[in-house]
Amino acid sequence: MKSYSSKLWIHLTPALLFLILPFFGIITAVRHSIFADEGFTLNFYQELFQSDRFFSSLAFSIRTSIIATALAIMIGLILVRLFHPYLAKLSPRISVWLPMLFPHFVWGYLVILLLAESGLFAQVLSAIGWIDGTNHFPILTRDPYGFGIIITYVWKEVPFVILMLLPVYAAIPTTSYDVVKTLGGNRWDQFKTVEWPHIQPTLIETCLIIFSFTLTAYEVPALIGTTYPEMVSVLSYQWFYGGSWDERPLAFVVMVCVSIVIFMIALTSYLYLNRRRMRAMRGRL
Amino acid sequence: MKYFIYLLLVLLFLLTGCGNNEEQPLSSLKEVTKQSWSDIEKSATGTTVRLYMWGGDEGINQYIDKWAIPHLKEKYNITLERVPMDTAQILQKLQTEKKANKQDGTIDLIWINGENFKNAKENGLLAGSFTDQLPNFKKFYDTDDPAFTIDFGTPVEGMEAPWGKVQFVFHYNSAKIEDPPSSFSELKGWIKKHPGKFTYPAAADFTGNAFLRHVLYAKADEPSDIYNSPLDEEAISDTAAKMWKYLNNIEPYLWRSGEHYPNSLTELDKLYSQGQVWMTMGYNEARAESLIAQGVFPETTKSFIMEPGSIGNTHFLSIPFNSSNIEGALTTINFMLSPEAQLAKYKPNYWGENTPISLDKLSKEMRKKFKAVDRGDSVLSQEKLEENFLPESEAAYVEWLEEQWFNEVVQQ
Repeated sequence: MKSYSSKLWIHLTPALLFLILPFFGIITAVRHSIFADEGFTLNFYQELFQSDRFFSSLAFSIRTSIIATALAIMIGLILVRLFHPYLAKLSPRISVWLPMLFPHFVWGYLVILLLAESGLFAQVLSAIGWIDGTNHFPILTRDPYGFGIIITYVWKEVPFVILMLLPVYAAIPTTSYDVVKTLGGNRWDQFKTVEWPHIQPTLIETCLIIFSFTLTAYEVPALIGTTYPEMVSVLSYQWFYGGSWDERPLAFVVMVCVSIVIFMIALTSYLYLNRRRMRAMRGRL
Repeated sequence: MKYFIYLLLVLLFLLTGCGNNEEQPLSSLKEVTKQSWSDIEKSATGTTVRLYMWGGDEGINQYIDKWAIPHLKEKYNITLERVPMDTAQILQKLQTEKKANKQDGTIDLIWINGENFKNAKENGLLAGSFTDQLPNFKKFYDTDDPAFTIDFGTPVEGMEAPWGKVQFVFHYNSAKIEDPPSSFSELKGWIKKHPGKFTYPAAADFTGNAFLRHVLYAKADEPSDIYNSPLDEEAISDTAAKMWKYLNNIEPYLWRSGEHYPNSLTELDKLYSQGQVWMTMGYNEARAESLIAQGVFPETTKSFIMEPGSIGNTHFLSIPFNSSNIEGALTTINFMLSPEAQLAKYKPNYWGENTPISLDKLSKEMRKKFKAVDRGDSVLSQEKLEENFLPESEAAYVEWLEEQWFNEVVQQ
């Protein structure tokens, strides 16, 4: 038993070493959020929880992230389901993953170039006469509903979903499908009884990764977000780099709060998956 | 086991030993300035100076890269490296280095003014007072000019040297607009007549905030009520109410009905160059020249200013507390302040910016050269700019506007 646990620690060392920096960052953020010049204080939290700007920003961020994540997952899942035998080949697979090579802000710029009121789509549509002039093109970037942000993230994360799901689908034995067919199951039964148990853990994990990234990343909302409502990352950046350094602790408080939200969601899904895994081990799936 | 502890202790001493060595102070600004100027220039020869500055304007970057760097190399054999970075981030880097007690910093020179200078000075991020050491500053500048001794309400105390001077102007396309508005009430009328053709950057943007300060000046009884007094929210509450009313009044007629304000001046310029809006603005009276030359702005672009005037400010060069090449930084600043460098900066081909130098202190020949510069058709005359000059308010107004604008205009 002892050798097992010491071996475990050796295996974990690289991961732990890697985590030193982010952990240091989190601890510094927490420290800055609860200490002022005169010592321990919760004033910054109090101030934040009285700020309408923060709550509307948080609500907007969570809403945008949930929509972007759900759409990315659904589209990715459908694509993998339809094309996974084909995607096993190298060149189609690489073409699907191509968007992952670009940084997010490049993708953001691309969305602006294509979908802005003076963008390529607007010009093409008005040139072929579908809309009267580019000013009739719907406002899809820098809009108050987060359309631009959602489009960018969905477009960028679908390949990531495919990347995560493809190996899982490749590992599903084809004989399982035959079993369902033999027992008279339809396609939905195939999905529910064969695919779903396989993909669910990966799907939840992918969901979490995309959701936390969308919720906190700065460059895309800074580029195609509007003045109001703003994503929490933009708000926190403005408080941190704004003219007055008195607002810096507030920026840390925002990030600590967002970290707590993400941590709670991650913990819940971990516990859920773990319970399922335990049941699966006991054979009661 | 004892051997192990012994080794550990030795290692610990070694580590602390190294730490102490690193903390040995480099030559501080005070010691450097004790030397004669020629000695300072001599020890600057052959060194590298790293200039961290905002890099969002191509004309400015080209002035540094194509004019300043080669000339500095030739004259003093100093290698100047330009590192583009937002000023707030430069200060953040310095603040982190200060916390980590890093004495040999990577930044030797910063371009700074306004609230950034205030933050840097208050947090001890600057090396100290040095302008009275610079021969060119003493010789060619009016050292007591309030534009050089006070920066957005913060006393300069010799901690930064005036590098340039700019004034805020609006730009318009003369092919589409015959008579630009001459006051804020005329602007309001124009906006209502041309819905969707005007907007201004958000208050967090440098230019957007300057636009709001103009509205604030215009709504005060006298602009001097604002720029001559520190921020007192009670005292200006009437003026502020008028300002918010004005801004909310024009909001429905702005580009995109005021639902979105450009996040940056670049975004507004883009709208202007595409013809979506018909006016833009900027904190440099000559900035349209290089943009016209590059084909970004239409050739018919002209500039205008409105009642009660146009706010101008001075921007400065300063040395961070942990510069590892103070001699080089001082020599470079002195060079940047020289009449030759200022003349090249004044010419419209790169930067085209006004100079803080006193023309009457120059040699006759040099003065002639300055007078001979044609700044371009889009730049207002020097007389008109000077007549309408308004000084900057205290830096606290910038922060106050940034916050209140969001509450009073955006969230309404």
